[in-house]
Amino acid sequence: MIAWYEANVVLIQSMFISLLLALSIQVPFRAGVFSLAGIGSYGIGAYTAAIVTLQLGWPPFAAIGAGMLLAAVIAYLLALVLARLSGLYLGMATIAYSLILSVAVINGGELTGGAQGLFGAVSDLQTGHVVAVAVAAVVLLALSERGRPGRWIDAVREDPELAVSVGVPVTAIRQLSFVVGGLLGACAGAMNTLLRTTVTPEEVGFHLVVLALTMIIVGGSRSWAGALIGAVVFTWLPTVLAFVGEWQTLVYGVVVAVAAIFVPTGILGLAQDFVRRLRRPALPGGRP
Amino acid sequence: MTVIEARDVAVHYGGIKAVDGVDLALEPGRICGLLGPNGSGKSTLLAALTRLVPLTRGTLLLDGAEYQNAAPASLARRGVARTFQTVRLLPDLTVAENVRLGADLRRRAPAGVVDDAIERTGLGDVVRARPGELSYGMSRRVEIARALATSPRLLLLDEPTAGMNQAERQEISELLRRLRDEGLTQLLVEHDVQLMIDTCDDLVAMNFGAVVAHGSPAEVVTDPDVQRAYLGKKWRAHA
Ligand SMILES: Nc1ncnc2c1ncn2[C@@H]1O[C@H](COP(=O)(O)OP(=O)(O)OP(=O)(O)O)[C@@H](O)[C@H]1O
Ligand SMILES: [Mg+2]
Repeated sequence: MIAWYEANVVLIQSMFISLLLALSIQVPFRAGVFSLAGIGSYGIGAYTAAIVTLQLGWPPFAAIGAGMLLAAVIAYLLALVLARLSGLYLGMATIAYSLILSVAVINGGELTGGAQGLFGAVSDLQTGHVVAVAVAAVVLLALSERGRPGRWIDAVREDPELAVSVGVPVTAIRQLSFVVGGLLGACAGAMNTLLRTTVTPEEVGFHLVVLALTMIIVGGSRSWAGALIGAVVFTWLPTVLAFVGEWQTLVYGVVVAVAAIFVPTGILGLAQDFVRRLRRPALPGGRP
Repeated sequence: MTVIEARDVAVHYGGIKAVDGVDLALEPGRICGLLGPNGSGKSTLLAALTRLVPLTRGTLLLDGAEYQNAAPASLARRGVARTFQTVRLLPDLTVAENVRLGADLRRRAPAGVVDDAIERTGLGDVVRARPGELSYGMSRRVEIARALATSPRLLLLDEPTAGMNQAERQEISELLRRLRDEGLTQLLVEHDVQLMIDTCDDLVAMNFGAVVAHGSPAEVVTDPDVQRAYLGKKWRAHA
């Protein structure tokens, strides 16, 4: 067990980082906000953590906190600016945020290390810290899926006009989902930088959009559990698929296409349907 | 004092004058019926009163205070509840949870308000069902129960008995009158003229976005304009 852990520690770390990244877009999706700003936030977190560690010598949690704070402020401003957009247009605008960011860091001169990125951001952040942060995030999000907040978020996603008519603060919840997505994405990016001690422009590029979306499409977007399923699948699938070699990308593509077409609610949705069917007796007063 | 009032309210969608200069005032503790043919602007007027569409012109008053710029989500807190013409339930929540959504606007809802709303609308047997498993008439009851769970002072109902059979309509009519007797002011949109006469204290008739008659049910349904616009021969035979 210990041997296995030591052999796979990098994958285990990246699984938890991926989980936080997936959550950063799952949270807005759950509120019906098609925002991918969490991915741009990952870049903000990754670079902010590197810069304050290298230039100011901040301890890891201060560096992570700085990245999260900056990303949350930007996410809030984005929520204000993009308030009128929805669906695909919002998706595109927020993807643009992460693309602009990856160009900006290439041209950021000494501050961002240009095309080479930044090296030597050494800290004492450990795997256990990452796991603890991810677990804390999951617990908080799981609570937000129950009771009153859970019903409110469902209402904002399913029918904002109805939500408003029963007093749900729809605009505030949408903005909050942007900000929480920003916090989670930045947290993932910052911790990744500190674990690896480096960050490069490629790491915060377009592939993150693909990774985050595939995790959520395959896992499911209605719950944190979907993000977890996606993170587990896409961390370990490559090792399982190693034997197909160059065909990996193709297999990936097929998995995602099949999931998107046949299982729009993801593996999580399949599992929930299954459980519900097992539990459902016939209903009195219901439709025959 | 009136509970809610519309003064010269207009809502235009581009060239379509869905509502065009309506005056309406609801007295406390009364049921006001809103009649009118399809497309006459009844639902749009309800949307205007609940701030779900912007006004082209006009003034809205709640307890005498203007609110035409208020945030729509603030109205539920001020005691205004509504149902929609189409059933709008959250598909993944149970009936009980859908009703609870109405009570959620208060951090601590008064004890029993959800159970009470469920019981009064006759949903006791289906609390654990999901909306997809309900008949249309049952779904409409959930809409009413959810609105009641907000503990409203004013209830706006957009065709709450559409799709119900005669016995069910009768039941809803009785429920609305009981609620009125407990002090709940209501605005009721319905096409069933007999039900409106039986249920309402006052009637308002609309056509082409404007009020064409208002007064007691007897006055309004015998008004020649209303007869021409809406009621047709079938009802005239009754009156
Ligand atoms: N969002 C909208 N955009 C454009 N036109 C609209 C919109 N909503 C309603 N209308 C138009 O406004 C007019 C009034 O519609 P409204 O739904 O208020 O009528 P109604 O009296 O409720 O009719 P019904 O009895 O069929 O429910 C109609 O001509 C309708 O087509
Ligand atoms: Mg209507």
